[in-house]
Amino acid sequence: MAEQTYSSDEIQLVVFKLGREEYGISILQVQEIKRMTDITRVPRTPDYIEGVINLRGSVLPVIDLKKRLDLPHQDDTEDTRIIIVKVEDIAVGMIVDAVSEVIAISRENIESPDTVVGGVSTKYLSGVGKQDNRLLILLNLEAIIGIGQEVKVS
Amino acid sequence: MDMNQYMGMFLEESREHLQALNRSILDLENDPGNLSVLDEIFRSAHTIKGMSATMGFNTIAELTHEMENVLDLLRKGELEAGHDIIDTIFKCVDTLEQLIESVANGEDSAADIQPLLNKLRLLSKTEEAKPSQQPVIKKEEAAGTSKLTLSEEELSLMETAKGQGLATYEVKINLREGCLLKSARAYMVMNALDELGEVIRSIPPVEDLEKENFDFSFQAVLITASEPDKVRQTILSISEIEEVTVLSLQPTETSRPETPTEQKVEAKAAAKAENEQHTPEHNSNHRPVVHNGTEKRLKGGQSVRVDIDKLDSLLNLVGELVINKTRLAQIGLTHRLTDLVETIEQMDRVTTDLQSVVMKVRMVPVGQVFNRFPRMIRDLSRELNKEVNFIMQGEETELDRTVIDEIGDPLVHLLRNAIDHGVEHPEERQAQGKDPVGEIRLIARHEGNNVIIMVEDDGKGINPDIIKKKAVEKELISQADADKMDTNEAVRLVFLPGFSTSEVVTDVSGRGVGMDVVKNKIESLGGMVDVETKINGGSRFKIRLPLTLAIIQALLIKVSKEIYAIPLGSIDSTINITTDDIKTIQNQEVILLRGQIIPIIRLANVLNIQESGQPQEELFVVIVHMGESKAGIIVDNLIGQQEIVIKTLGKLLAGIKIIAGATILGNGQVALILDIGSLM
Repeated sequence: MAEQTYSSDEIQLVVFKLGREEYGISILQVQEIKRMTDITRVPRTPDYIEGVINLRGSVLPVIDLKKRLDLPHQDDTEDTRIIIVKVEDIAVGMIVDAVSEVIAISRENIESPDTVVGGVSTKYLSGVGKQDNRLLILLNLEAIIGIGQEVKVS
Repeated sequence: MDMNQYMGMFLEESREHLQALNRSILDLENDPGNLSVLDEIFRSAHTIKGMSATMGFNTIAELTHEMENVLDLLRKGELEAGHDIIDTIFKCVDTLEQLIESVANGEDSAADIQPLLNKLRLLSKTEEAKPSQQPVIKKEEAAGTSKLTLSEEELSLMETAKGQGLATYEVKINLREGCLLKSARAYMVMNALDELGEVIRSIPPVEDLEKENFDFSFQAVLITASEPDKVRQTILSISEIEEVTVLSLQPTETSRPETPTEQKVEAKAAAKAENEQHTPEHNSNHRPVVHNGTEKRLKGGQSVRVDIDKLDSLLNLVGELVINKTRLAQIGLTHRLTDLVETIEQMDRVTTDLQSVVMKVRMVPVGQVFNRFPRMIRDLSRELNKEVNFIMQGEETELDRTVIDEIGDPLVHLLRNAIDHGVEHPEERQAQGKDPVGEIRLIARHEGNNVIIMVEDDGKGINPDIIKKKAVEKELISQADADKMDTNEAVRLVFLPGFSTSEVVTDVSGRGVGMDVVKNKIESLGGMVDVETKINGGSRFKIRLPLTLAIIQALLIKVSKEIYAIPLGSIDSTINITTDDIKTIQNQEVILLRGQIIPIIRLANVLNIQESGQPQEELFVVIVHMGESKAGIIVDNLIGQQEIVIKTLGKLLAGIKIIAGATILGNGQVALILDIGSLM
């Protein structure tokens, strides 16, 4: 492992599932992956914010990613996970249906979101990755967490 | 050896002594004849001098040395601690502060101490002019004499010392052969000498001592009131010292450095001869036993500065420990493992203690910030020719470190305003029948999960009409707006950006940076600032700050299946009522409690909680208060009182008004803390 080198035209993705679709986010933004845990509901927040969890003494907000992306609801299963991501100093948990693997994908196999049409509003996408027969929807975490919007307001 | 390892200790101690100096000089000003205060000042100055000389910070040592001369005259009653002298001493303290801070930042100080030195010398000259009747060094025989060559400056120091009845000795120290860490020993010796008096020179120079650029012996020139034997004994009590020779130094004509080389040789030879003469008697008898020097030094380092991030992660780790302990306890219970359960009970006590210690480490008394204000008030009131009695209360009130660091500046501003705009000149006050001495109070106290800090003055107050007029003139509001405003609203205009009532721009205030900056700062800390004022009755600025990460007592309550914490400080009482007790006034639900009408808050509605089902006949009501107003919160269940840690919800959820933060319960679950103020 230690000897392994990563070429710059390749990115490593954590692949997870929402419903039947596969999504990817850069491994560099992922802090850890947690099993489903107790989530405390926070009143007067947008409905996609599921609540807050205790991550080793810190209180972190958790987003229901399917609600955020307007995907149909599905009950939690054994495979449900919370992916803790960190974007610009803000740590957030995202609930996903399952985390499958980590893959490397070369940059030339990533297409910009404008060229594809998907069920997910394009503002949350950063691209679509193709590998063999799979299509991975790459997410724009800044937009999902709402960092971009904050900046616009101020 | 690298002196850097002593740097932390040096800085910490110097800062402590500077603070002590500021405090005691203020005391001295109020009570000029107080000898014990003078002694305290003298000790602090002396310690700073000793330490800085050891560390090679000669500018600091030089300044403190001159300071000591003046202090000594005060102590002897030959000078009086008038305003002028106090001002000068304060200036010295300020300069020392500057010098020490530049040492801390690793930069060369730009501070020019020459004018101060001259001033100090001028002050102590008054004494020198008087012929001193003190006999010349008496202990010559006991000590033997040395003919070491001294510089002009050293000679003059020596002469001054002589005038004060102090003797100058050349102290020659031989370390034991094969002694390890020679420079550390040298350091300890120098320290010990500094305790006795003042080292005006070392041979080789301090730098060489530090770098171990010497064999096993070195010399120091010491000005002291102690007997040579005392000096010898003190040094011998340090370990690894082979022998100590103390020779008396005479400021003779021959020791003037006109022909340095020859005389040096001569002096050395003479010293050597003396050395041989005197060593036998005190060489073998005094073997080092106690490490006086080191023990004293170590005491200085009993507090440690810790990075706030490290404290954060320590707290988180302890929290995690508690949670895992709870899990273990559950396993023990489920599988009926008696041994495990017993062990966990032991562990429970330890983790609880550990948790409370870690939490308390983060809390700092607000006095740390307050300490610098008496000095500031004194300087300002003198500058503005006003008389002010400054009173501080509640310095022991504890606040989270992060908040402590931030509130200093806003407070400086409010206090400056209180003197500049609030308190009137003595004549003006007298004309109004007030005490010519104004009063400014700085008060801190806990109120619920907030800390309240108030700055009060008994000055002229804020006139709402003038404020309105100014605001309209500056086009901050329209005349129509102004006419509609009531008194309170008008007074709050002072918080508008760009607002200043000061006609003249002074050093103190009126530079356009005003209360809006204070307000922004406080609000950025999650606090609030408000003002109450009465014309000619004074003003009171009230800052309310949350304890961002503090431990508070809270009542845990349950609504449906959700647990919330209500800070105990906001709770008056809890009562049981029946649904019949609830009346309505204009559609607002209220209850009558001891003749008082109290509005009812249904948490389930406010927090969008789905009601659990059938309405209960008996209801639990938590009576809370915020300032004067009260409210009753209806809850499903009271869980109990508990000490909780307040955690922020983070940037993403920062905007939710009714939630003040979160806390982690023993089982690892997160519970939200209600912000009573915004509920009402």
